[in-house]
Amino acid sequence: MYDAPHMTESHVTAAADVKIAARNVQVYYGDNHAIKDVNVDIQDKTVTAFIGPSGCGKSTFLRCLNRMNDTIDVARIEGDIRIDGQDIYDKAVDPVQLRAKVGMVFQKPNPFPKSIYDNVAYGPRIHGLARNKAELDEIVERSLRRGAIWDEVKDRLNAPGTGLSGGQQQRLCIARAVATEPEILLMDEPCSALDPIATGQIEELIDELRRNYALVIVTHSMQQAARVSQKTAYFHLGNLVEYGDTTKIFTNPEDTRTENYITGRIG
Amino acid sequence: MTDAPNFGPGTDAVPNRPKTSLIAEDARTKGRNAAEKRFRFYGMAAIAVGLFFLVVLAVSIVRSGIPAFTQTVVNVEFTMTEADIETAEGMLFKTKMYAQFLNTALTDQMNAKGLEVDVDEKAIQRILGKTGGIIREFYKGNPDQMGEPVAFELSASSRVDGYFKGRVTREGFVDSRFLKLSDLDLVDSLAQAGVIQQAFNWNFITGADTGVDNPGGAGIGASLVGSFFMMLVVLVLSLPIGVAASIYLEEFAPKNRFTDIIEVNISNLAAVPSIVFGILGLAVFIQFVHLPQSAPLVGGLVLTLMTLPTIIISTRASLKAVPPSIRDAALGVGASKMQAVFHHVLPLAAPGILTGTIIGLAQALGETAPLLLIGMVGFVARGYPQGFIEGFTDPNSAMPAQIYTWAARADVGFYEKAWGGIIVLLLFLLTMNIIAIILRRRFERRW
Ligand SMILES: Nc1ncnc2c1ncn2[C@@H]1O[C@H](COP(=O)(O)OP(=O)(O)OP(=O)(O)O)[C@@H](O)[C@H]1O
Ligand SMILES: [Mg+2]
Repeated sequence: MYDAPHMTESHVTAAADVKIAARNVQVYYGDNHAIKDVNVDIQDKTVTAFIGPSGCGKSTFLRCLNRMNDTIDVARIEGDIRIDGQDIYDKAVDPVQLRAKVGMVFQKPNPFPKSIYDNVAYGPRIHGLARNKAELDEIVERSLRRGAIWDEVKDRLNAPGTGLSGGQQQRLCIARAVATEPEILLMDEPCSALDPIATGQIEELIDELRRNYALVIVTHSMQQAARVSQKTAYFHLGNLVEYGDTTKIFTNPEDTRTENYITGRIG
Repeated sequence: MTDAPNFGPGTDAVPNRPKTSLIAEDARTKGRNAAEKRFRFYGMAAIAVGLFFLVVLAVSIVRSGIPAFTQTVVNVEFTMTEADIETAEGMLFKTKMYAQFLNTALTDQMNAKGLEVDVDEKAIQRILGKTGGIIREFYKGNPDQMGEPVAFELSASSRVDGYFKGRVTREGFVDSRFLKLSDLDLVDSLAQAGVIQQAFNWNFITGADTGVDNPGGAGIGASLVGSFFMMLVVLVLSLPIGVAASIYLEEFAPKNRFTDIIEVNISNLAAVPSIVFGILGLAVFIQFVHLPQSAPLVGGLVLTLMTLPTIIISTRASLKAVPPSIRDAALGVGASKMQAVFHHVLPLAAPGILTGTIIGLAQALGETAPLLLIGMVGFVARGYPQGFIEGFTDPNSAMPAQIYTWAARADVGFYEKAWGGIIVLLLFLLTMNIIAIILRRRFERRW
């Protein structure tokens, strides 16, 4: 079938620094089997890139990792996903607490229809990360700097977040996600609307975050995957076809589908 | 090496594409433009027709209703000393003596203006009604005014009022015990002297309903207060219940057959005739719970039942209209579902919720049928409630019910009252709408 046993071996690494462990994950949207038996170990302090053709299930799998699929009525998830050894789909797990730990940047920029300041300050506020206004100001500034957008918005923090350009909104959403200090950051095409300069800044941020976080980034840019990630997972039609060191995937892929994709022959 | 199909340039070019001009319209473009023009014309025609009827409605309401706001009054000033009153009180027909004082004063006033008229006691009674009683009541209430000159403003009878407003004319006038043709001569000369004239009818706005034989004294004030208390009940109950129910159904409730049934039934409830809610209110609130009959509290409860579906439907629609990405964003930074709803979704839905609420309230304000069944129609108001709490429980009427009552009465004087009542009702509605618009502007700082 999906040659699962073979995959289980090749995609599962030593348990020591594993942050997220997924076993036999299936996702159904009604009758549509969107994720088929995925097994993967995502390591801490590492950037993992998800690549693959459009509609192959990258976003779907990413959303499983912080249970955002819970909000989709038709979505059904089977299998086992553990973060730090804890089953996140356990009945006792509060998805709200989980999402505070696993931050997310969405594929479409979705700033709150509030001021830029409030966009970033919202997470720290509800989690009580700042004891006073000064601390909150500091968090907001630091986050906006990390999102590579501080210089552009520092004079108009009270302007609406939705009034920014598409790329600025995307960086605002990145700033918002890092403001809550998650342990894991899931980024769904964070640079899709950014120019090369901002992309470079975000990639720098990703590289810096790697020191303390586990990062998963979905990207359609092979170059970006090659530049920022240490591990790469190639998805194809809901299957995790190949997972391994980025250098290996890009120089010596095992599967022909991976090879075809990264050399630009399908997609 | 390449087995994939080649979509490179040149290979797939359209053969023999005709050259087209950007200036000359081709047939298709012409057709499309004509269709658009026609559609615009239909739209404008529809709006014009709507505006026409609106203007006709407004003009006829104002024309028929304005007379209700004026009242024909006679101004007389005279002084009664303590001795005068003592004499009057000693008579067999006490009020007659008071009336005589008035008549004398009236005659003096006319003579002073150089007009010789015969102020007939009977004629004055026909024109002004039983004046003696009014004057007596006044001095009983204000004994300190004895010996002081007092300017009395006395309402003319319905027919004299009608004469001033053109409802009663000399042509085809038939003498009756209510008014004789000769009285009109007296009225004319009184008018010439400026003694009788039209004044703004404050009593119509502030007063309560009167008996069927006194259209002149009837006012909408008490039923306006009744409507106000009813709206208060409706707002206080239906807004929080409706919004809470919608939020639960839309954001929290599992989507299963049970919630589907509830959803369908809420839509059905919105289409239930209001009289059904009225009979439900009669059976439940009055006969079972024994709440006071004719009370604005019961009216408000019934209207709340009627308004809830409207508010729930519009609130759910405006919650649905908030993009799901906003919820995702909030949940994504670790907000709970409740925080996501109350911090982000609800503020965005607030303008829509307000619109739905105001539509529901406006419907409730104009509703008459359910009030028929709980005894708020056909009731001669005893005046104002004693206090705030009594405002909810004292028997009262509501504006549309009061208008209905007036329209059903025989005396033509009530006809203009009904129209005038409609003007007040519309003004009340307008005030409500303006408040809603102001509130909506507040919330609508969406960016
Ligand atoms: N909310 C949803 N309801 C139903 N089906 C969905 C939903 N979201 C995604 N799908 C289906 O799941 C499959 C995978 O979608 P997904 O969004 O994960 O793709 P993707 O790899 O992120 O694609 P892209 O690169 O274009 O973003 C697709 O076939 C899609 O039709
Ligand atoms: Mg995607």
